[in-house]
Amino acid sequence: MNRRQTLLAGLFASLLASTAGTALAQAPKEVVIGAIYPMSGSSAQVGVDARHALETAADLINNDYDLDLPGARGAGLSGLGGAKIRLVFADHQADPQKGRAEAERIITQDKVAAIIGAFHSSVSATVSQSAERYQVPYVAADSSSPSLHRRGLKYFFRPAAHDEFFSAAMFDFLDGLKAKGQKIETIALFYEDTIFGTDSSTVQRKLAAERGYKVVADVKYRANTPSLTAEVQQLKTANADVLMPSSYTTDGILLIKTMGELGYKPKAIVAQAAGFSEKALFDAVGDKLDGLISRASFSLDMAAKKPMIEKINAMFKARSGKDLNDNTARELMALIVLADAINRAKSAEGPAIRDALAATNIPGALTIMPWKEVKFGEDGQNVNADPVLLQYVGGNFVTIFPEQVAVKAAKWPMN
Amino acid sequence: MTAQTLLQILASGLLMGLIYALIAAGLSLIFGLMDVVNFAHGEFLMLAMYATFGLALFVAIDPVLLTPVIAAAMFVVGATAYLGVVRYAMRAKANVGMVQIFATFGLAIAIRGLAQFFFTPDFRSIPNTWLGGRTVELGGVFLPLPQLWGAAISVAAFVGLWLLIGRTDFGKALEATREDAGAVALVGIDKNRVFTLGWGLGAGLVGLAGAVMAIFYYIHPDVGGPFALIAYVTVALGGFGSIFGALAAGIIVGLVEALSTTFMPPALKALGIYAVYMAVVLVRPRGLFGNL
Repeated sequence: MNRRQTLLAGLFASLLASTAGTALAQAPKEVVIGAIYPMSGSSAQVGVDARHALETAADLINNDYDLDLPGARGAGLSGLGGAKIRLVFADHQADPQKGRAEAERIITQDKVAAIIGAFHSSVSATVSQSAERYQVPYVAADSSSPSLHRRGLKYFFRPAAHDEFFSAAMFDFLDGLKAKGQKIETIALFYEDTIFGTDSSTVQRKLAAERGYKVVADVKYRANTPSLTAEVQQLKTANADVLMPSSYTTDGILLIKTMGELGYKPKAIVAQAAGFSEKALFDAVGDKLDGLISRASFSLDMAAKKPMIEKINAMFKARSGKDLNDNTARELMALIVLADAINRAKSAEGPAIRDALAATNIPGALTIMPWKEVKFGEDGQNVNADPVLLQYVGGNFVTIFPEQVAVKAAKWPMN
Repeated sequence: MTAQTLLQILASGLLMGLIYALIAAGLSLIFGLMDVVNFAHGEFLMLAMYATFGLALFVAIDPVLLTPVIAAAMFVVGATAYLGVVRYAMRAKANVGMVQIFATFGLAIAIRGLAQFFFTPDFRSIPNTWLGGRTVELGGVFLPLPQLWGAAISVAAFVGLWLLIGRTDFGKALEATREDAGAVALVGIDKNRVFTLGWGLGAGLVGLAGAVMAIFYYIHPDVGGPFALIAYVTVALGGFGSIFGALAAGIIVGLVEALSTTFMPPALKALGIYAVYMAVVLVRPRGLFGNL
């Protein structure tokens, strides 16, 4: 390097340092947050609803609302001089590889401060790994596979419950019914073949063995298959006391339609949400589902105890034309939790937000969920995200478990 | 496993197979006529399902009665696709095959994107149809009425095709154009017209399938994909260009799918179909009834 080059390099370096200095001195006017969802493909409906949920949450933060939700009062993020949240949406089409590529794109090009995603657990797995590499916090809003938080990631956080909590709640509920004299001995597992279905069934198989239920059908099926006739025939032959499906919307609709066609009326269904919390499924086959039980992180009938749920639901409904459900409520809450951390971090830098997230402490009363509190463990999992079980009765979901929040006693069996 | 269960599985496989055959018929017809694989075939199916849904909802006529209307509408869609896109793709001087693939593939993506934009990605289904959700039981074997109706339409469509190709001048023109598209011009057959009608007919056939499936399946911009995939393997298995090969292959695919789901882990159900196809390719690469 000759002297002129040295001089130029020095000049360049000092220029860089000075611009960086001014950037640090001024609080940013906006914080960019990435949202990775299936905006096209067979799960696009979930992605479009997620977009409405996240936009509702951003509205709550960016504008002044008199609600008991972190960040709702006052406009923007007070810790960052009133900076606004701006959302950047990316489409993963339910494909883990596309999810990874989109995560890297929004991290490097849009400079997102954090990422929320991704519905499909399989996609959350790859996106969170990319986020970890770039030191960008990843909040898994609605991906429920238990394996996700057991990979030693430092930038992974999940405010909601995972499928072990959910499945444990289901079996607690079944144990309770049994203690009251119901005959519940056999279980049929029906699950799709990606990480969501296989993880869910692994937990359910283990719990069934521990608590003395016999698994009489164990059907792992190909997701988005054109026909489920032979699969349903196996369920019908087994005719278990409880059918436990872990399915997304498409397969859920096809499952219930095919059961109707083959004249199979299950004694009871306890579903691992996903498709079974989507309005589309109940619009299509709701008439055959009176008495269906599904796990959830959210229930609209909690509005009786938390009036703000009604107001927030109205805001969401104005955007989407739908009520909040298990998925959209978790998505909305995820952004609230993330914004609360950014506010305390007083920074839009990944490591600072990560540390603030790790120190999160939001009491359950300040959420729209049945959670005790939001407080993350070492692995980024909120350990106090209590799930509920809902039953679909007369066209609405009512909370039936646990007893302290139950609105009604469960109708059992359903058929 | 009881005999009754086995009968149920065979019956379900046969009914589904006839519907697969009906979906594959149009694809096979277009391919046989002009060596073009229509990658937008699944999207045609999806459009037919949305058309049935829309008409059933707004005109309040049962999908059963709408079937010929939908087929006619899809005839227009197919002919338009040929006149608007495929005709130009076939004029390519080099790499004609690739240009055709990308032209129909692009058409597929465009249709799917527009459908998601205009119809939204919400799942739809038609409530309260005459046949929807109804089932007849024969000695413990359940036969859903919508699928029985689909099987009847499928058989009728193949009989109609057989009559059309074997007994009419248009059928003869179709066969002749397929044999030698250049030579038919010498006897005064307009190749372009035959191709337009061929595309219309192909899309009309998948329109029949869409009108039937709208009764018992969910409707969604992406619904065509899995069915199109099965249609491709059906056409290849039956033999390129053989319409009746498509009928036989559709039934085989339906039965193999149902049986392999029963005797293997259901997650591997596609394996059975493709294993059969591979076996056929080894012995008879042109497909079971292929004459090309």
